[in-house]
Amino acid sequence: MSVLSERGGQPDQNDVLSRVADGVSPSSVHHSDDVLGLATYGTGDHGVHTRGIFDPELLDRCISCGFCLPACPTYALEKDEASSPRGRITLMRALEAGTLDPHDQTLQEQSSQCLGCRACEVPCPAGVEYGLLLETWRDHQWSGRHGNPLARVLRWGVARRSLLRLSGLVRPFARTRGYARATKPHIMLGCAERALFPSVSRAAVRLVPGADAPIEQGCCGALHAHNGDSAKGADMARRLGQDLPGTIITTAGGCAAHIAHHLGRDHLKELSEHLVETGYRATGELLVPDGHGGQRRARVTLQDSCHLRNGLRVTAQPRALLRQVADYVELPSAGGCCGSAGSYSILRPKESARILAPKLAEIKALDVDFIVTVNPGCQLQLQSALMLRRSGTKAIHLADLLARVEDQVAARS
Amino acid sequence: MTVGAARVHAETAATSATPDRSRFGAVDEAVLKALRKIVGSDYVRSSDGDLAPFSRDATPLFAARPDAVIFPASTEEVAAVLKLATERRIPVTPRGAGSNLAAATAATYGGIVMVLTRLDQIVEVSASELLAVVQTGVTTAELSAAAGKQGLLYAPDPGSRTVSTVGGNVAMCAGGLRGLKYGVTRNYVLGLLVVLPTGEIIRTGGRLWKDVAGYDLTRLLTGSEGTLGVITEATVALLPAPATSGTGVAYFRSLSDAGRAVARVIADGVVPATLEFLDGKCINAVEDYAGLGLDRTAGALLLFGDDGAPDVVQTNLARMAVSCETEGALGFTVAKEIVESEALLEARRCALPALARLAPVTILEDVAVPRPRIAEMVDRIDAIAERNRLTIATFGHAGDGNLHPTAVVDPGDGDAVERAHAAVGQIFTAAIDLGGTITGEHGVGAAKLPYLEQRLGADQMALLRRVKTAFDPAGILNPGKTGS
Repeated sequence: MSVLSERGGQPDQNDVLSRVADGVSPSSVHHSDDVLGLATYGTGDHGVHTRGIFDPELLDRCISCGFCLPACPTYALEKDEASSPRGRITLMRALEAGTLDPHDQTLQEQSSQCLGCRACEVPCPAGVEYGLLLETWRDHQWSGRHGNPLARVLRWGVARRSLLRLSGLVRPFARTRGYARATKPHIMLGCAERALFPSVSRAAVRLVPGADAPIEQGCCGALHAHNGDSAKGADMARRLGQDLPGTIITTAGGCAAHIAHHLGRDHLKELSEHLVETGYRATGELLVPDGHGGQRRARVTLQDSCHLRNGLRVTAQPRALLRQVADYVELPSAGGCCGSAGSYSILRPKESARILAPKLAEIKALDVDFIVTVNPGCQLQLQSALMLRRSGTKAIHLADLLARVEDQVAARS
Repeated sequence: MTVGAARVHAETAATSATPDRSRFGAVDEAVLKALRKIVGSDYVRSSDGDLAPFSRDATPLFAARPDAVIFPASTEEVAAVLKLATERRIPVTPRGAGSNLAAATAATYGGIVMVLTRLDQIVEVSASELLAVVQTGVTTAELSAAAGKQGLLYAPDPGSRTVSTVGGNVAMCAGGLRGLKYGVTRNYVLGLLVVLPTGEIIRTGGRLWKDVAGYDLTRLLTGSEGTLGVITEATVALLPAPATSGTGVAYFRSLSDAGRAVARVIADGVVPATLEFLDGKCINAVEDYAGLGLDRTAGALLLFGDDGAPDVVQTNLARMAVSCETEGALGFTVAKEIVESEALLEARRCALPALARLAPVTILEDVAVPRPRIAEMVDRIDAIAERNRLTIATFGHAGDGNLHPTAVVDPGDGDAVERAHAAVGQIFTAAIDLGGTITGEHGVGAAKLPYLEQRLGADQMALLRRVKTAFDPAGILNPGKTGS
């Protein structure tokens, strides 16, 4: 048994151990007013597994180099180690090792304050799978009395397939009858997306010839996985795989990484990824009024979906599509979270707005006609903020934008 | 490093001994109240959970819990805190981004961890004076970028440049990949704004290239590891950015072959901007992370590069390739584009964390030897690894003789950690034997303090302690580190 785990067996001694005596410094070293050898260190909680909450292999991998700090949007707010991926992993380890009370306020706060954007995974040379660690952390942290009631309502809602179906009665999303066959690609309707932005699935069905959009499909479970119930999240993903055998095409970057993780990367295509792979060519360009009674080519930028970018590393495809139809300019913070972060904007509206603020300034400076999104959460976050500010820039989902190009071409001919 | 042994000892000591903190005062409610008054209540933390993230830095197997963490926002706040700390005899450990590898920011005796990341303003970049003035919490990469915008170069480029703060770089005298041609942090510090442990605010040096008025305190403070004063602002020298740069890779059968090539390159008359080497284990770990298409079958690779006028760069790359061939290079490639060069250098900077893919604990060392003895040192490291039944991956800044042998250890594997620490001691002895040092650029910190006397001798250690006392009569500033 390793010494590290032996130590873990005596969590009550941690405080003492962190500064116990050490008599092993070379005896030749003398110190003026203290024998330095008497001041010593604990070895920390790296590798100590007492409570059995985390998968040891996942939690041990971080070596605390800190390369993730500059990538973290919440670290950027206050430059506070506790709000960084490395600091949060130190907290997870303290929880796992039994050094911290499981109800500790900082554990609770930091597990919630994290956006879960996984930007920290990109610069991590050690390959730490932070997203999975966070899911486990929240499973533990948000269970029982610490569960967020709002998150519970959200989880409950999206798991009700009857509710999802009903939402289509008010504002129709795409749907095809009958059960899905494995030979066809299936447009995933999503939970939030089919209710909030039903035009997106209608557009996707137009853009992908031969695709169906079976009505018999539930939520993918990403919202559960990211909000303290990863077991149910995994079940829901598997059920979605049964509902939609074969290739699933999603218009929600936030769902993409979750589905790919549970069903396998081969079964999942994000819309832009699918379109580029199948050689999609737009039939024209996106035109907007030029202010003098005529029309001009639109100027657009893109907001990446965090999980699509950081989880699946899909970044070039939506940009390539946009360059086909409009003048594309890069948003400096395109790869950084917009603060929507799934349910984050609902659960922590103040921080969400703080994360978003610098991005809004960038969008204003770019002076574009559209900021294009590839995920309903980002769409909602940007659309509402831009509308509130009466911005000249509109937020639009990539599928809607490409469909609009087809509409314009059809209207001209 | 004594951690392995320390831990074993801790098992028995935990029951019988308590830390000797009797010479320090406690962080009680009155002290917390005073701290809140100075920096604001939002910026004083003292709960268990709040302290946990600040109980370690990037050094493996070193943890020490502070009693409070504070985030001052100005030099004046730093001064007020230090004055209070000296009065109350409370230890203060300054901390930047916590990326150091020598446990230099471990709160050995508890007390206050003073986080300086809120001091994050770039005050000035002057092209006409070739200098920049930055607050201590600005990251090295932010300073480089600001200089780059004006066509200037901040030369020091430690591996952790995207994370590390300029204040931390100065305090630790950070090195980097350009050390041979451009020097290290100490060669670029012109002046410092420093708060003494007793609360006085002083300016050392300034905007001058020539200034011999008084002892060179700027140099003394550079690399003082936060034991003599708290640096809140630095004035650093910049250079005109080189017109271009180029990088090549040469592969060798073994690391000692690569070591001989290093000596050959320099003897043949080139002082390259980059001369880095990685052994086969590092090549594979880096390749797993970065996927650059490096030759995984080679025993070692040498990354060589230069910057300057395009024709000079081309000529020097060709000359270095010839030198490598003379020493038996198996083959080499030259990056065609700057982006390719940068990818190679970035990959090299990630060598250490990439090694974490091999096992949960990486115990990294930082010895330096005279350049002609690199091959010999490499052979000795191999022998030490074998003797202690360890996997030791070695990479380093070959050009300046600075090696990073890294023991890759699974703590679950019996006494592997203890064997690693035994190996570390043997590596230090070997380096000193060859006329080298125990640390080239990471610093002594808490991790290497027990070995410092072996390098400096008793008289110099005594002098260090007298210097420390002159700056810090109460001994409150980062106690348990160099000279204290």
